[in-house]
Amino acid sequence: MGELRDFKSGKSGKPPRETSPRRLAAIIAGDIAGYSRLMEIDEEGTHGRVKRIERSLIEPSIAGHHGRLVKTTGDGFIAIFDSPVEAVRCSIVIQQDMVGRNASLPRHHWIEYRIGVNLGDVIIEAGDVYGDGVNIASRLEGIADPGQVYISGGIYEQIKHKLVCGYESLGDRKVKNITDPVSVYRVLPDPAAFNRTRKRRERILIFLLSLILLVIASGALWYVFWLPHGKLGRQASAPVSLEMPKVLSSPPPTAKQAAPLPQPSAPAAPATPQPAPQAQPVPSVAPDAKQAAPQAQPASPATPATQPASVIREPEMKTLRGGSFTMGSNDDVTEKPTHQVTIKPFAISQYPISVREWNECAAAKACAFVATGKDDAPITNISWSDAKQFVAWLAGATRKAYRLPSEAEWEYAARAGTQTKYWWGDQFQPGMANCKNCTDIAAAEQPIKVGSFKPNPFGLYDMGGGVDQWVEDCWHKNYLGAPADGAAWGGGECPSHVIRSGSWKNDAQYVRPSNRDSYDTHVRYPTHGFRVALSP
Amino acid sequence: MKISRLIALSVVLTCLSFAAWAQGKPAPKDAVLYFVWPQDGTTIKGGFWCRFGLRNMGVTHAGDDFQNSGHHHLLIDVNEPLDPNEPIAQDKSHLHFGAGQTEARIELPPGKHTLQLVLGDAKHYPFHPPIVSDKITVRIR
Repeated sequence: MGELRDFKSGKSGKPPRETSPRRLAAIIAGDIAGYSRLMEIDEEGTHGRVKRIERSLIEPSIAGHHGRLVKTTGDGFIAIFDSPVEAVRCSIVIQQDMVGRNASLPRHHWIEYRIGVNLGDVIIEAGDVYGDGVNIASRLEGIADPGQVYISGGIYEQIKHKLVCGYESLGDRKVKNITDPVSVYRVLPDPAAFNRTRKRRERILIFLLSLILLVIASGALWYVFWLPHGKLGRQASAPVSLEMPKVLSSPPPTAKQAAPLPQPSAPAAPATPQPAPQAQPVPSVAPDAKQAAPQAQPASPATPATQPASVIREPEMKTLRGGSFTMGSNDDVTEKPTHQVTIKPFAISQYPISVREWNECAAAKACAFVATGKDDAPITNISWSDAKQFVAWLAGATRKAYRLPSEAEWEYAARAGTQTKYWWGDQFQPGMANCKNCTDIAAAEQPIKVGSFKPNPFGLYDMGGGVDQWVEDCWHKNYLGAPADGAAWGGGECPSHVIRSGSWKNDAQYVRPSNRDSYDTHVRYPTHGFRVALSP
Repeated sequence: MKISRLIALSVVLTCLSFAAWAQGKPAPKDAVLYFVWPQDGTTIKGGFWCRFGLRNMGVTHAGDDFQNSGHHHLLIDVNEPLDPNEPIAQDKSHLHFGAGQTEARIELPPGKHTLQLVLGDAKHYPFHPPIVSDKITVRIR
């Protein structure tokens, strides 16, 4: 073969030596942890001990594992081995021996080595070894904990099935001056060490987990107990507080009101004092005039210092002409037989009675409880007898014939002149009514405020879905024998009454104007409300 | 292996925190809700009196918050699981007996139907854990 160039110097060099200067080797870098501190405590003693260790432990161990001690620095050493298995074995031996040597000494006198082992192609020249392989071993040693042996991925791959000990992966570490991150493993020479590691990790994980769970649990508890809930109108049956009465700033716009229905009085009128708290509400507003006549009456002594100026707010009503319609349907056994009913003219409230309207009755001590929840939401948790109490109070307070609608009137109003399955047609349309799976409203916002959906052709809102609405009639399981004159069928005392409309929790079938259900007369349920009717 | 077990453990423990959500009253330990009539598998012609049995607890009016008492609900052909965090639904397949009734005249169309009793507390919430009867199947001729 021709001459080989010595690439380093650029001139044609001598024939290649028998031993190439490059070799694949396992490199051990070892270093004493805290050497300066130990020297500071006891310079001569430490120096002597280190020298003894090198002589009696380091050198023999390396030689015994067929390695070569390349060099010693003041507080460390570098050795190379042909076999990665031997290199790691040697490291383990050294570390375990050091444990024994330190056993009888106090902690701050311990001499502990950090050892890093790497597999690399290195340059060996005379008394030294060079190359990336060495640098990596040194860096591994640098990041190792005292008393530990850290190995690189290359070593690990070679020894993992040959050397029986535990290996804890420490992931990829970026090493100074080396481009690619290095896979680092920690050697665990005995099962006890492995368990300690595992237990420590376990403990950390469990601690973090319980912390997270505690946060979630306290969040849940806070939400349940301390966040004010308005959704179901949680109500107290506590006695009415006289702070409740509302001061109305402007009457609601009712441009379409027919003449016979008086407007609620304007706020400019002087305050009409509240009825005195009594079992029977005392009407104090002259109902016949269009505007309530101002009356100067002394305030009841029981009222609080701020005498509220309250006017009996009447619900917005819609007058309906009446006429004939077919009541019932063939869709359900309770809605049969269909029959003709003639309705006389009457008015019905445009919306279900709201929390605000209910609380006026409560403030007058004529209704059993004060409702919580948003003022614009429909009142819920109403029994039939609660609804009857409200209309009795309203009728008495306004001297007008307020009452519950009959079932026939309710269905007539709900159909709004149509005879289709729903008032808008025979097909259900999402977004037309507040029912289950019909809208995107979040459960926490229910029941949403009255009038949030399109009104039917009579201008009535929430006839179908929203809140269930009581009517005057007693429950009959079908229409056999039902009256044809639009009157309530056996109102008054009976164990259960008819409830209409379905609620936001019922599916689309309950939105049909012919749908009917029953419920116990004196029992309250969180989706049950009502609207009022008015005879002319 | 170890990680997946830890994940499973954490999921279970997280779900426990949702126990804070359960709204119903705690159930007395030995309460038994059952059908006096009909029994599972009975064939009935026409309407029948469904009779509700309750042992070791009392029946009271809905809204009354007495200890150790509740009121009946009859579920007809209901397959959805009971939501312990919501009041028992009110519709034509969930019959409420909030006035304290212990029996009812039931008329169902011909065919197979399932019946189940659930006891509700004063606010119509299921107890926790829920007091329910067996779900029985009857055939109506």
